[in-house]
Amino acid sequence: MRLVIDHNKCRKVGQCHYLHPELFRADQDGSPIVLIERPGEELREAVEEAVDLCPSGAIALKEG
Amino acid sequence: METTPVFTPDQLMMPETIADPYPAYRQFRHQTPLNYVHVPGGIFPGVEEPIRAWALMKYADVYGALRDHDTFSSARNPLIEKGVFPPLALITDDPPRHTRFRRLVNKAFTLKRIEALTPWITTVANTLLDEMGTGEKELVQSYNIPLPVKVIARLLGIPGEEYPTFKRWSDAFIASLVSMPPEERMQNTQEMITYFGQMAAARRAHGAEDLITALVEAEIEGESLEDWEILGFCMLLLIAGNETTTNLMSNMFNVLVDRPALWQRLRQDRSLVEPVIEETLRYEGPVRVLLRSTTRDVVVSGVHIPQGEMLGIFYGAANRDPDGFPNPDEFRLDRDLRNHVAFGMGIHYCLGAPLARAEAMITLNAFLDRFPTITRGSIPAVRQTASPIVFGFEKLPLVLIARGH
Repeated sequence: MRLVIDHNKCRKVGQCHYLHPELFRADQDGSPIVLIERPGEELREAVEEAVDLCPSGAIALKEG
Repeated sequence: METTPVFTPDQLMMPETIADPYPAYRQFRHQTPLNYVHVPGGIFPGVEEPIRAWALMKYADVYGALRDHDTFSSARNPLIEKGVFPPLALITDDPPRHTRFRRLVNKAFTLKRIEALTPWITTVANTLLDEMGTGEKELVQSYNIPLPVKVIARLLGIPGEEYPTFKRWSDAFIASLVSMPPEERMQNTQEMITYFGQMAAARRAHGAEDLITALVEAEIEGESLEDWEILGFCMLLLIAGNETTTNLMSNMFNVLVDRPALWQRLRQDRSLVEPVIEETLRYEGPVRVLLRSTTRDVVVSGVHIPQGEMLGIFYGAANRDPDGFPNPDEFRLDRDLRNHVAFGMGIHYCLGAPLARAEAMITLNAFLDRFPTITRGSIPAVRQTASPIVFGFEKLPLVLIARGH
């Protein structure tokens, strides 16, 4: 699985790196950066929560 | 020639400025951070001295403070410390407590969960519209209040028919004491606390598919929530879940009623509904001001603010900052609508934002379906001034003209 951010949708709210600092960090202007682009199965629960909790619907999990 | 009104900082929380805050924001923004009286002395029992704060109004300052929760804490609130208000969950919490609590309720407000509620909210909206009919209507009482209260009541698991009572409690909570005597406010708050206490006890005995059950059954690191924490959650969700959405919808219709060409465009092209809602949030967002406090000495826009001072975050002022939004006093759909701070930013970003957006979208679409034309009513609209923290309407008379009339 591949963790991706749609920066056209992203509002730079910051919930993703607040709740899941293991998966995201913020750059200087507050934009999120994915830390683990291909998270393993052990991170699936965290990844799914991050996708769910984005208030802008900007985080997606892609197969492959 | 237009004359520039001259305000003093202490007028920021006064009724005339609550009704029309933007001239004062224009005057003060470039001078901020600016010390002002957030709560005058002598109106709350036990609060004899005025509570002062530093107003933040520039987009960059507001955005920066909201994103820096280590420096700008939410945990201190002088009115809660003095017992004027009971503590609310989340909005008066800092991490790590905030993180644990937010995680607990986040799942109830995700985009996916709200999408699943959309058919039901649409039914509630259409039922209200059927009851309302056409012609001249006072929109605040007949639609903008009942919809959000019914929706949040159902999420919490409390009967929606009692919504006038919930609205009364919620209004009393956010009212300034100028507009409501202390005894009346205390009595309303006490009634609300008793009611939610009974609801929590009932859900402990028999669980249901609702948020109150989720709260009484929740465990954080092996420990159940205390009764006052459950109450804090219920009060927060009830109050935040209706005042803001009611005023968002009132502000939206107030903008649209004076723009008949935009109304027609919206009827033809529903892809504009979402931008209209986002631009309403920026242009006339429903939350005026919330507090933070400094955990260390800090310099904001060149002003030294010592540790332990209160700050007022003026969301509406930041959203009209020309350095954040070109031609900020124009309502326009052709701007980047992602950057407004109407729902805040950072860790305290409005939990209910997806729900508020959904309610506004469902509402606007339902009105567009039914009413080819809306115009102002025969009596003037009245801005609300009872609460210094919200921006909205007490009365918004509109004429709703249906097809064929």
